[in-house]
Amino acid sequence: MHPNLLEITDLKTHFFTEQGVVPAVDGVSLQVKRGGTLGVLGESGCGKSVTGFSILRLVRPPGRIVGGAIRYYGRETVNGEDLTALDARSEALRQVRGAEIAMIFQEPMTSLDPLFTVGNQIMEAILYHQDVSKAEARKIALEMLDKVRMPQPADVIKQYPHQLSGGMRQRVMIAMALSCEPQLLIADEPTTALDVTTEAQILELMRELQDELGMAIMFITHDLGVIAEMAEEVAVMYLGKVVEQSDIQSLFTDPQHPYTRALMQSIPKVGQKAAGRLEAIRGMVPSPRDIPSGCPFHPRCASFIADLCNVKTPRLQETKPGHAVSCFLYNDGGGINGV
Amino acid sequence: MASDATNIVLEVQNLKKYFPVSAGLLRREVGQVKAVDGISFSIPPRMTLGLVGESGCGKTTAAHTIMRGLEPTGGKVIFHDRQLGAIDLATADKEALFQVRRNMQMVFQDPQSSLNPRMTLLDIIGEPLVIYKIAKGQELIDRVAQLLKRVGLRPEYMRRFPHAFSGGQRQRIGIARALALNPQFIVADEPTSALDVSIQAQTLNLLQDLQDEFSLSYLFIAHDLSVVEHISDFVAVMYVGKIVERADTHRLYHFPKHPYTEALLSSIPRPDPAIQKKRVAIRGELPNPADPPKGCYFHPRCPYAEAICAEEEPQLQEVEPGHVAACHFADQLTLRGVNEF
Repeated sequence: MHPNLLEITDLKTHFFTEQGVVPAVDGVSLQVKRGGTLGVLGESGCGKSVTGFSILRLVRPPGRIVGGAIRYYGRETVNGEDLTALDARSEALRQVRGAEIAMIFQEPMTSLDPLFTVGNQIMEAILYHQDVSKAEARKIALEMLDKVRMPQPADVIKQYPHQLSGGMRQRVMIAMALSCEPQLLIADEPTTALDVTTEAQILELMRELQDELGMAIMFITHDLGVIAEMAEEVAVMYLGKVVEQSDIQSLFTDPQHPYTRALMQSIPKVGQKAAGRLEAIRGMVPSPRDIPSGCPFHPRCASFIADLCNVKTPRLQETKPGHAVSCFLYNDGGGINGV
Repeated sequence: MASDATNIVLEVQNLKKYFPVSAGLLRREVGQVKAVDGISFSIPPRMTLGLVGESGCGKTTAAHTIMRGLEPTGGKVIFHDRQLGAIDLATADKEALFQVRRNMQMVFQDPQSSLNPRMTLLDIIGEPLVIYKIAKGQELIDRVAQLLKRVGLRPEYMRRFPHAFSGGQRQRIGIARALALNPQFIVADEPTSALDVSIQAQTLNLLQDLQDEFSLSYLFIAHDLSVVEHISDFVAVMYVGKIVERADTHRLYHFPKHPYTEALLSSIPRPDPAIQKKRVAIRGELPNPADPPKGCYFHPRCPYAEAICAEEEPQLQEVEPGHVAACHFADQLTLRGVNEF
């Protein structure tokens, strides 16, 4: 069996709008290990969600995958196949979505249909992917609700989404996503809309279910705290590119890219209240329509080197085993002229 | 916190806001949601009180009731206005409210929906100055330019509309508007929670700088406990309409006296993979505020609950000078602080 479950190489997903091309994802390479957790960290507009949608081929026009490959090493039907080469509406891809790769989102209310009961919605996925009767599907749905530690699953299965709290809705989403025992769960900011005690419960639940079911997780978030708790490997994204990639320990003990370092310095650290100001990153995230030349972070960077960072684009290079960074401070950056 | 008039800007005493619950064909009133149920605190000049709690705990309702955007059901809100002296906002008449609102302003969570998209920055920031007949014509323009500069925006932008600005910039516009009348007191309701991580720090720094420069007092409402710790001098924790604990920031984060505070602190995701957390297992979810549990509202989720907790509602008691908690066992429990998980 291939050690990686998913390998993304040089993925480019661009949006062709009337105002011009938006390179939302621009040459991203990532690997998800079988049963492992990859964290994708970034601020709004960095392309982290579009990367997730690209894997499931759910990018809508005017967005389009224009380059790269997404190889998925799943069960027998799809093994080492390039998902970008499949037709988005094909039967093969439908077998991947839900059954092999499932996704959960930030706002569970908008991902659940208000007109159907919770039970109905969980059963729909089971009936689509598995050869079972309605009664059996219902039994599986109940088991799944029980698995996600839903209180009173027999009552909840008959309820509508609006009758549930945010945390319970996210539990329903997880039950639905895991009902076909996928190999990979893409979780896009799954706890951002939740309160802190509920967030802790959901994160705990995801870790327990991962141990139990052995699936891999791709955890997309902007929250450094959440990433530190959940991920084994992390890719930090900025304006459509991966700027740093490392295992979680090395990223936090030895952050290298100026963006990663600045992010870590700019957040208040609880329990270490210091008088005075935070070290803020200057400026703001540029619009993806208007990406700066050279290194996309150079206008905000504290270590900006004139005539280099604004001219050449650094490439991701290893600085030590398992830790790669795209910055001229650490290496020649493998830069490409005038790009 | 003493209620010495010279040392206090805002004093909230037993403030209540109940909403009726109606049902049936005739919409008869069948009950009440006690959104804010007897909260008390005071804020000294140039200080920040952080108000934390989970969604639905009543923190935003409390802010709106203090500003008298909502009519209080009971209690007092004494504001020590530097021109008018002490005024009870809960009972003040229209004219008094109009005058006192010069000195108290609000910054909202979502800068997208709290700025009128059809007004230019000049109109938005200048509106308070026009309403209070403080400036017009060139003077108004100069004053708005000065405010824009102070919050880090270019005065040339004053003829533009809010849509031309990013989230962080819009929050600066909201802050400039709040500053226009040179207030004493600002309520900031989740001012950074809609912002990106890298923009959050800029906004917090700006709020702190302005506090020093204009001697502002803040009521800072947020659910992010790291942000609240950073900016607050004192912190009050709300749960289902009540304040369950209040203390200075250091004591509250390091020596909590209420099990709910301990649970909140233990739930914070920490940006350090080396921390192996021993979480306080907190069960269940927030109760329905229309039908809260008997006794202590937190008892069904509390790991330390005993028989009395389901029967008797604990009152806020002073555990140490300046540190109050509403727990039957506040002085017996040894709870863990934020660095002990």
